[in-house]
Amino acid sequence: MRITALILLALAVGPASAEPSRPPYILIVHPGSRPSALDRKFVADAFLRRATRWPDDSPILPVDLAPDARARARFSQDILARSVASVRSYWQQRIFSGQGLPPPELGDDEAVVSYVLNHPGAIGYVAAGTPLNGAMPVEVNWGG
Amino acid sequence: MTLRRRSRASARLVLFLATAVAAAAAAPVSAAELSLPGRLQLEAHGFVSQGFLLTSSNNYLADSSRGSFEFSELGLNFTLQPADRLRLGVQIFSEDLGPIGNYQAKLDWYYLDYHWQDWLGVRAGRVKLPFGLYNDTSDIDAARTAVLLPQSIYPAQNRNFLLAQTGGEIYGYKSLGRAGALDYHLYGGTIFLDVNPQSPNSPFTVLDLNVPYVTGGRLLWNSPLDGLRLGGSLQFLRLDTHLQPSGTSSSVELNVPATLWVASAEYVVRDFLFAAEYSRWRVRTESNNQSVFPDSSTTSERGYALATYRVNSWLQAGGYYSLLFPNVDRRTGPGGRQHDVALTLRFDVNSYWLIKVETHYMHGTAALSPSLNGDQPLNSLKPDWALFTVKTTAYF
Repeated sequence: MRITALILLALAVGPASAEPSRPPYILIVHPGSRPSALDRKFVADAFLRRATRWPDDSPILPVDLAPDARARARFSQDILARSVASVRSYWQQRIFSGQGLPPPELGDDEAVVSYVLNHPGAIGYVAAGTPLNGAMPVEVNWGG
Repeated sequence: MTLRRRSRASARLVLFLATAVAAAAAAPVSAAELSLPGRLQLEAHGFVSQGFLLTSSNNYLADSSRGSFEFSELGLNFTLQPADRLRLGVQIFSEDLGPIGNYQAKLDWYYLDYHWQDWLGVRAGRVKLPFGLYNDTSDIDAARTAVLLPQSIYPAQNRNFLLAQTGGEIYGYKSLGRAGALDYHLYGGTIFLDVNPQSPNSPFTVLDLNVPYVTGGRLLWNSPLDGLRLGGSLQFLRLDTHLQPSGTSSSVELNVPATLWVASAEYVVRDFLFAAEYSRWRVRTESNNQSVFPDSSTTSERGYALATYRVNSWLQAGGYYSLLFPNVDRRTGPGGRQHDVALTLRFDVNSYWLIKVETHYMHGTAALSPSLNGDQPLNSLKPDWALFTVKTTAYF
């Protein structure tokens, strides 16, 4: 029993200890009156479509990178606290039970920047170093 | 070969070909999108499954002791969002599981969903029953590791009773800040049931089946620890039926109210998933002819513990132990219990095609159907037996 508890504790603590000081991706939103920082939980809820509204009641439009993108893998582990494959299972459940559809998946970082710029309410992430062309970078509050 | 068997064989061939074609030819996309007038997008998803069941003895779900391919599913769903908060959806579903389904296509679910706020939405139509962690997703092979979910709580042969109801649902998701979030559903409606062909050896004929109400709810607490969900579900329903005993012309009216509850826990961390559920179902029988059908009350006990691990992008392993006592007051004999130990390997060939291999060691016969086993009493069937199953699914 004690060993099981230790294993579970180690698994739970693992993601926090692996938290990157500088993630290899940048969270971006449509340039507008959005906050310059967002709680991690809120971002996770937005990408899992549990939170669908910004505080001003406008719709949140999350956009993902392709499943094999490195930035997607790190974003998924850091923000959603699960692997990309696990997130895919989550969306299979939602799709085939009629409870929702996943965010669109775009092929590269430039497409995500373009989507965010062209859709008010959009939120996405791109690999660090990608030209943002006016898309607004957002800090993540890791405690949230 | 009878006409019915021939048409089933043809349907199986079509399903097999459809699976192979879908797996081989589908473009690596997550959905098909159709553009409609007015910039509306219709999103389509689908799946095709073909499985095989083999038991060492006893027939389980199908004529499995000789090996059975009567384990097929096909689903196609469409979702349309005509306005910001409004969504429409429909799924067409066809299955064959032993005596169930026979490839008859039906509307599995359909709904009109008004998502007013995250904490309050309303659905109307035929909507899936949120009972336990996985009831509303129990027919989605691609969304889990196991071929068969723990059958004590998610019995495949009761799919028509337990999967969906026609009526309404209120749902929501409310963040509690540092205390996590609540995910809740409340629903009410009815279930439309068909009277299936009955065994000629049955001591009575079912004349009709009606569900005057099914109502309940599910509350899940997403704890501050990422991936940990705890909660419970409660369901009340009543089944009304008229039965005609063999050799008589008069019928007996039966009312069968039932109360079902389940306590649930799930923890998803990295590539691990742990889940456990415990449930009791109380079913009463109220008859207008006590000499033929005396009133009775039965409480069943059900539970399981499950763990899965994603080894890499193409391999998952999982196992569970599931336990069923159909009557807590009579747990003796093989028919009074069902222990089920299952081990699964899931291979994701690519992002739209998977293959699963699963084996079960079973102790007890409570999960078996007498009608699939020559109408023999459950206590007379082999108490120790094994199930081997393979299933392949293509989906987009």
